[in-house]
Amino acid sequence: MAFHRRELIHGALAAGTASMVAASEGEKSATTPLPSNVLPSNVLPPMSMPSKVIDTNVSLFHWPFRRLPLDEVNELCAKFQQLGITEAWAGSFEALLHRDLRKVNERLQKLCQKRAELIPVGAVNPNLPDWKHDLNLCLGRFAMPGVRLLPGYHGYALDDAVFGELLVTATKLGGFVQVVVAMEDTRTQSSSLQAPNVDPRPLQHWMQQIPDAKVQILNCRPSASDRQTFASIPRLTVDTSRVDGTDGVATLANAIGIDRVLYGSHSPFLIPEAACIRMVETGIPAVDVKAIMQENAEHFRITKSTLPHNQQR
Amino acid sequence: MFFGLPPTETLRGYRIWDSYFTPAFSHPGTDGSSKLINDIEKSMAAIQLGHFEKLCYFAHVGIGTTTDPELENLLRRKPELVLKPLERLPNKLLGMIQLNLQNPKGSLEALDQWVKNGPMLGVYFPGSGPAAANCLDPHATKVVERVSELGAVIMQHTWLKTGGKRSPNESTPMELATLASRYPRQKFICAHAGGEWEQGIRAVRDTPNVLIETSGFDATAGFIEMATRELGSKRIIFGSHLPSRSLGTELAKVITAQISEEEKKDILGRNYRKLLSVIQSRK
Repeated sequence: MAFHRRELIHGALAAGTASMVAASEGEKSATTPLPSNVLPSNVLPPMSMPSKVIDTNVSLFHWPFRRLPLDEVNELCAKFQQLGITEAWAGSFEALLHRDLRKVNERLQKLCQKRAELIPVGAVNPNLPDWKHDLNLCLGRFAMPGVRLLPGYHGYALDDAVFGELLVTATKLGGFVQVVVAMEDTRTQSSSLQAPNVDPRPLQHWMQQIPDAKVQILNCRPSASDRQTFASIPRLTVDTSRVDGTDGVATLANAIGIDRVLYGSHSPFLIPEAACIRMVETGIPAVDVKAIMQENAEHFRITKSTLPHNQQR
Repeated sequence: MFFGLPPTETLRGYRIWDSYFTPAFSHPGTDGSSKLINDIEKSMAAIQLGHFEKLCYFAHVGIGTTTDPELENLLRRKPELVLKPLERLPNKLLGMIQLNLQNPKGSLEALDQWVKNGPMLGVYFPGSGPAAANCLDPHATKVVERVSELGAVIMQHTWLKTGGKRSPNESTPMELATLASRYPRQKFICAHAGGEWEQGIRAVRDTPNVLIETSGFDATAGFIEMATRELGSKRIIFGSHLPSRSLGTELAKVITAQISEEEKKDILGRNYRKLLSVIQSRK
């Protein structure tokens, strides 16, 4: 499946490049300058927005360091509606600094109950005493599909044993785990609260040790080296929120497989339209856009026990 | 709305002029242009999707702005290579030259060759690489004065990094404001608004001849709103940073901002056209 889609991407990119080169060579060979309004007209594949779009990476409540234009839930949801986003997996900005995560998760759950499109993803900090209680609440009573971890802000690394313990427990409970590798560019953080980018490489070990674990990386701006790392970690999925460069999403998909790329915007910290526009400019075919913006997230969210046997992969 | 983009007629109505197009930014290819042309072509989908009217890139002209001595020699021996992108898309591309304050003599000669007597419209002072120099470097004086005489535009790379500069050759918006206050009739563009824009905007607020450029950092919400509130829309200039950044990241900052459509038109093209009009009128 992944290989097939990768071939499709290669094909689309090759076709797009060929048309661009042909157009450019045309410009050159004609020695006549192009009129200012003429550019190759076929550089993008035909595209339409999927009827259902899942944004796997949004946050509710207030970013601690400034107010954001869409940090009230009604405005954020209105924007989702405008953009055609039908489902958004929501964490809480409060989880960055609060220690009383039970109340943080309760507020998140309560707020999401008011909006059908919001799916709460609670926070767990394995450095806090009795973190399993928060995990059980999130995946049990609150019936959240997964939890979101903030190692950079909560002070642990992915090679710490407690992370492995959390991943084992979450997997047994049927939940996925989102690992936030950064909330913002380290260069722009508050000088009094600097959170390092999280090193994802220890996930190689855990994903081999825990075959049913479902992990998604959030907010990574992947370098070539990161892409290699992600490709080498079985089943690891990555969101698109900070995958920049005009061909960034296609490059990531080529590196790790289209079925491991999930749409995410990191809104309202980042402008929601940014991730959306990148999906069309990156030049991948509509079938892959649909996979990234809808199908891959649907598959990721479904627990092993609820997945029909013939859909397991 | 199509994937977050406004209708075509709205985009065309913005008349987008991109002040910060960065194909093959640090090296144009060993033959002087192939990597540059490839990167321009890689950006075509975004350029088309955004309905950009013009894009300005920053050419290397053989004065030591790359780490490749052979390329530097080639560009000096065959200056026609520098012009290749402009010849390829003459109605779409604008050019400025990258300067090297470590080589003030070469920079002054390049100004005459490429700006006074050539097609280039301004200069770019880099923040990294072999030609990076702090904008308050004493060598800047003569170069800035000459640029000013020619009526050309100055784009200065700036970044304000948590934990401080990674190199003394980097420049901050505060330093650019200091430099600009010495030349009140010369306009300076503060590239990337300092990256950490909340401080960058404040740093240049009281220096009216400094404008900020919008690219080079994540699509952090609220940037354009604060910049418009503190500086006014006339002091903000759009840049795309394509292809290493994306249309999504850079155009979304402006088109989604909670400001008026007229203010968006200022930022997306009108201000830059006005800035370039001085030198363009002399060519």
